[in-house]
Amino acid sequence: MPTSSSSSSSFSSAASSSGNRQADVFSRLASSDPEVKLKALREVKNQIIGNRTKKLSFLKLGAVPAIASALSDSECNSILVQSAAALGSFACGFEAGVQAVLDAGVFPLLLRLLTSSDEKVVDAGARSLRMIFQSNQAPKYDFLQEKNMKFLFSLLNSENENVSGLGASIIAHACGTTVQQQVLCDAGVLEKLVILLDGSLSQREACLESLATVLKNNPEAVSRFVGLEAGRYLSSVTELTKDRYPRTRLLSCLCLVVIYNTSPSYFLNMGTKSSLVTTLLELLNDHGQSGDDAALGLSSLIAEKEDLQKLAYEANAIKNIVDILKTGSELHPKRLQGLFLSLAELCSKLEDCRCSFLSLEMLDLLVNALRHKNADVRTAACICFRNAARSVKNLSAGRFTNDHVMLPLVQLLHDPSSSVEVAVLGALSNIVLDFSSPKSTFIEYGGIKQLIELSKSMDPNARCSALRALRNLMFLADNKRKELFYSEVKAQGFVSLISDPEPTVQEQALALLRNLVDGCINSIEFVFDEDGLILDTVGKQLRKSPQAHMAIQGMYVLTNVASGTELHKEAVMQQLFPQPQAESNNFMLKFLQSHESQLRSATVWTIINLISPSSPGAHDRHVKLRDEGIIPQLKNMVNDACLDVKIRIRTVLSQSMSFGDN
Amino acid sequence: MSLFRIFINQDDDDDDMATSKKVITREEWEKKLNAVKLRKQDMNTLVMNFLVTEGYVDAAAKFQTESATKPEIDLATITDRMAVKKAVQNGHVEDAIEKVNDLNPEILDTNPELFFHLQQQRLIELIRQGKTEEALEFAQEELAPRGEENQAFLQELEKTVALLVFEDASNSPVKDLLDISHRLKTASEVNAAILTSQSHEKDPKLPSLLKMLIWAQNQLDEKAVYPHINDLSTGQLQDPPE
Repeated sequence: MPTSSSSSSSFSSAASSSGNRQADVFSRLASSDPEVKLKALREVKNQIIGNRTKKLSFLKLGAVPAIASALSDSECNSILVQSAAALGSFACGFEAGVQAVLDAGVFPLLLRLLTSSDEKVVDAGARSLRMIFQSNQAPKYDFLQEKNMKFLFSLLNSENENVSGLGASIIAHACGTTVQQQVLCDAGVLEKLVILLDGSLSQREACLESLATVLKNNPEAVSRFVGLEAGRYLSSVTELTKDRYPRTRLLSCLCLVVIYNTSPSYFLNMGTKSSLVTTLLELLNDHGQSGDDAALGLSSLIAEKEDLQKLAYEANAIKNIVDILKTGSELHPKRLQGLFLSLAELCSKLEDCRCSFLSLEMLDLLVNALRHKNADVRTAACICFRNAARSVKNLSAGRFTNDHVMLPLVQLLHDPSSSVEVAVLGALSNIVLDFSSPKSTFIEYGGIKQLIELSKSMDPNARCSALRALRNLMFLADNKRKELFYSEVKAQGFVSLISDPEPTVQEQALALLRNLVDGCINSIEFVFDEDGLILDTVGKQLRKSPQAHMAIQGMYVLTNVASGTELHKEAVMQQLFPQPQAESNNFMLKFLQSHESQLRSATVWTIINLISPSSPGAHDRHVKLRDEGIIPQLKNMVNDACLDVKIRIRTVLSQSMSFGDN
Repeated sequence: MSLFRIFINQDDDDDDMATSKKVITREEWEKKLNAVKLRKQDMNTLVMNFLVTEGYVDAAAKFQTESATKPEIDLATITDRMAVKKAVQNGHVEDAIEKVNDLNPEILDTNPELFFHLQQQRLIELIRQGKTEEALEFAQEELAPRGEENQAFLQELEKTVALLVFEDASNSPVKDLLDISHRLKTASEVNAAILTSQSHEKDPKLPSLLKMLIWAQNQLDEKAVYPHINDLSTGQLQDPPE
């Protein structure tokens, strides 16, 4: 860097003199004298390597197109090397740089360099291309084209480690679909990649990354890989989890996680599972990118797997993760997301984990994460809350229902990101199940209105989650709460919810209704509002041959209504057997013959309530049911496979007998 | 792999450890050692590994000629690496950076900690030369942005800039930064990064073997009395005490 000749000591002059220097170098790039040009290229390259700020400022000056011209116009090897290296540096870990480099048409120019006779030129070209392929903006490589496949294999076969590494990188970042994986495997890519495992460090790492991409969620590819030389390469990858370089350990672990998630049968050995968990836990402490990736890898590994969650818990995972979160230094959002997701997975099924986690004074940290500027972090924190709130002990201790926690959660109901919305609804669904406190902070914060708003969202997931939260809110709720809720929805609102185009949303709406009419007899009156509009809609939906899960909730609504007064029971009969009706439309019979035991059970409960002997009209209703073939059908089900159904049927039949069997 | 087996007397009195240890005379010891077979090849490889990792290019080249031992990496790359190391050791950091970038432009682009330490060393050299204004400008332009990107860097930067505050920096609490040993530390860091990028192990094997020897002797001391190697540089056996 040229020395400053100015004698002024103010900082503003420092800034402008550096700006001048940059402009000066930039102008020399365009020089027609190759010596001057070469020197300028080297200067730019040396200024930007490692220095993001300089990359940005040179970018703004328009350095990239200038260097691209140097690359395309020159025959001189030194100029090719320096310009390729400079462009590679712009693309290294700097998305704006990748964009600029691609926009300047550099890609084909770099490809040309790979066929040079000068080894240094080839190296420079290969390295820079590899930088581009680390980014999501890299051109989509079409593996399905014959000539592309040929080119790819020529890269993989190269002696030059930068070139073969480039081949592996292209696979790692461009292979996404099953079809692509298949095409690559059929062309023999696995056999080529595993050779790189015995190569240099960068080849090994590129190989591991690309293996993970090719094997992901593809059992055929996995079995092919494991079959190579009778499992030798699977052992190699397992060995590499103990390598001296952290990045190698990480990439091999991630590869094993992919294989485990795709085909767990290759991991019957507890020891391997255990060491995979502990290696990932150790890698969490790495300060660089490896630590970030390790966190996400761990969450992916233990997701839905109780045995691995237990292993992790016993290996002190919770304390380790919490310690990292408490270090106070600014953690990369990817790492935060991974750590919170891992904690969430740990708390998903194991009560010990939840109690352990909550005892570590973590709530403040978690609440702060709810306000993080990155949506993925907010989502992960919500999922963490949701799973931790599964702990009844801690929930009833009021840990989640105080203002400190409740307010930020409620605020997230307005979050611009839909994944955050769905996640916070999940958390609230669990938290509102706190029965220990008579008043609810959630309701005080206007939670009901917000949930009703969200039940009308464009996103079906949000609608479903909002209704689930409302359903839980209405569970065993007192009349005051039910009135408050109903006044915001009204009959017409309910009709829209129950008639939602998505079956999953309909199911939640019916379940909500079920909880609403449950409890004291007055609650049943809701369905009779506006001339029985809601009850009619329920009947209509049930007659439409709904899916089992929806039908179950619908029948339970009828069950609850039928537990009321004489008028209520008659109204249910109306829905079951509307006046002018074709015989074949008897949905009750269909439900009784369903494969879903819960549906059979719910239907029988309705019948029990309809003919419970204490009410005056029971006898007539019994006659009707018998004439419609319902009672005879029940007699056929005396030995139903499901114990619960069997018992309820016995109840009905004994009620039936009390009317005199004719 | 153990060189020998020791059988401890089962019915020894625990109070007196000295008498329960097996005694091995010098003669017995040397006899056992002579029974161990080593390959010349292995020793040559060990020597070559040491020369190559430490960067003694000429010695390595000569040794290759004389012993027909193949060096594990291209000797030309050692020359480049040694040039970088030397540049840092002599305080010519900018030159070192240029050389590293010629060798492999990825190293500094993917090693933010190393890059920061090199820039920091540059700052130290400017301060050492008394170029205060230039140092401040450099700190402002090159190092401050790095500090913004990373908390840990910021602290180290503040420490370094503190050198400018003191009249006599060489007697200040941060004087260690001016010490030659700091240059050596930075040089070593660069050397290791280059070796790693070339997939070469950054430490030679010889020191590990010697450490293993000392550890093994310490372990054995609890069970036996035998001739020690006390001076690693000579490897001479010393008789066990009577």
